[in-house]
Amino acid sequence: MNPQLEGVEDLEGTYVFDLRTSHRTMKLNRFLWNMISAGMRESYRADPEAAMSDAGLNETEKALIRAEDWIGLIRHGASFFVLEKFARVAGRTNLEVYAMMRGESFEDFMKTRRVPECR
Amino acid sequence: MARIIGGIGTSHVPTIGVAYDKGKQEDPAWAPLFRGYKPVAEWLAKKKPDALVFFYNDHATTFFFDVYPTFALGIGERFEVADEGAGKRPLPPIKGNVDLSIHIAESLVNDEFDMTMFQDRPLDHGCASPLPLLWPHEPDWPGAVVPIAINVLQFPLPTARRCYRLGQAVKRAVESYPEDLKIVVVGTGGLSHQVHGERSGFNNEEWDMEFLDLLVKDPAKLTELRHVDYIRRGGAESAEQIMWLAMRGALEGEIRELHRNYYLATTTAMTVTLYEPA
Repeated sequence: MNPQLEGVEDLEGTYVFDLRTSHRTMKLNRFLWNMISAGMRESYRADPEAAMSDAGLNETEKALIRAEDWIGLIRHGASFFVLEKFARVAGRTNLEVYAMMRGESFEDFMKTRRVPECR
Repeated sequence: MARIIGGIGTSHVPTIGVAYDKGKQEDPAWAPLFRGYKPVAEWLAKKKPDALVFFYNDHATTFFFDVYPTFALGIGERFEVADEGAGKRPLPPIKGNVDLSIHIAESLVNDEFDMTMFQDRPLDHGCASPLPLLWPHEPDWPGAVVPIAINVLQFPLPTARRCYRLGQAVKRAVESYPEDLKIVVVGTGGLSHQVHGERSGFNNEEWDMEFLDLLVKDPAKLTELRHVDYIRRGGAESAEQIMWLAMRGALEGEIRELHRNYYLATTTAMTVTLYEPA
């Protein structure tokens, strides 16, 4: 265990992205990262199944992507910072993704914010 | 001799860039943020620094986890603003200063900070989100940026103390540059926020204020904290505030806080501060 992170497992709803996770989810995170390329975005939109297979995703990962299951992807080990690139392709804002990760509707989530109009 | 004339702390929330590009400067929900940058932009316009040394983090845009540097320094006449999935932003490429970047690179490595150097790579919102709020970009940026990227994405991250020491080494590098340049150091990120998992949306205003006060009065205390302490107090992604410590290290000694704007609207406590050596 990294001593800088001792006790982090006690924090609920927090998934540390360390080298163990990164190593395990390399292909998934590369697939998500590739969405910064206009060409890769087009390939995904044209044929999502082929794009996922070409990226070497396993069946669990493909199902999570198909479902746009944001919290499922995070629990599986996606880095949020490549996940947000895929969110752009899926037409979701970060605020919408936060709400879904919390299991709340977007409007309910925004009611918990100080300036709900700030979007 | 070049010298550091001041420091800036700023959030780098990507939404700031989106709101800026959409022209939301006068939108009542956004105006308190944009207004908060004005005194800093005015100070920069008055002081006319030649370069901003930006301690920022790449968000797995310039680099991917196949090779993810702990500390990386950019060298180039220009840096493109990256496409992060939503297309290119309407900003001119960010100006660099090749000679200054190379001098800082040589000085840091000889000072035992074994940086990764990058060239011909774009910069993402870690740098590009706050930059146009600080500096005008019409017709072009008024000065250069020396980008220093710090890994705050993939653990192990550099410790808080290591970031402070990097800042101290950057100060030595700047002060050994022969040309009379005025440099401002910028630390980006934070303040409290968490953007992944069910704990998304976590904030801690009390801790944010304590952090800002300690940064001025007793930064050593902040360098003693572990990453888990930042995660617990400010939310997982607030651990990136160790980048403010790099800025503070480059200012070393007593400083005066000239400006502070804190705007917690939705999920990230968007903050901008300005410091001068006391």
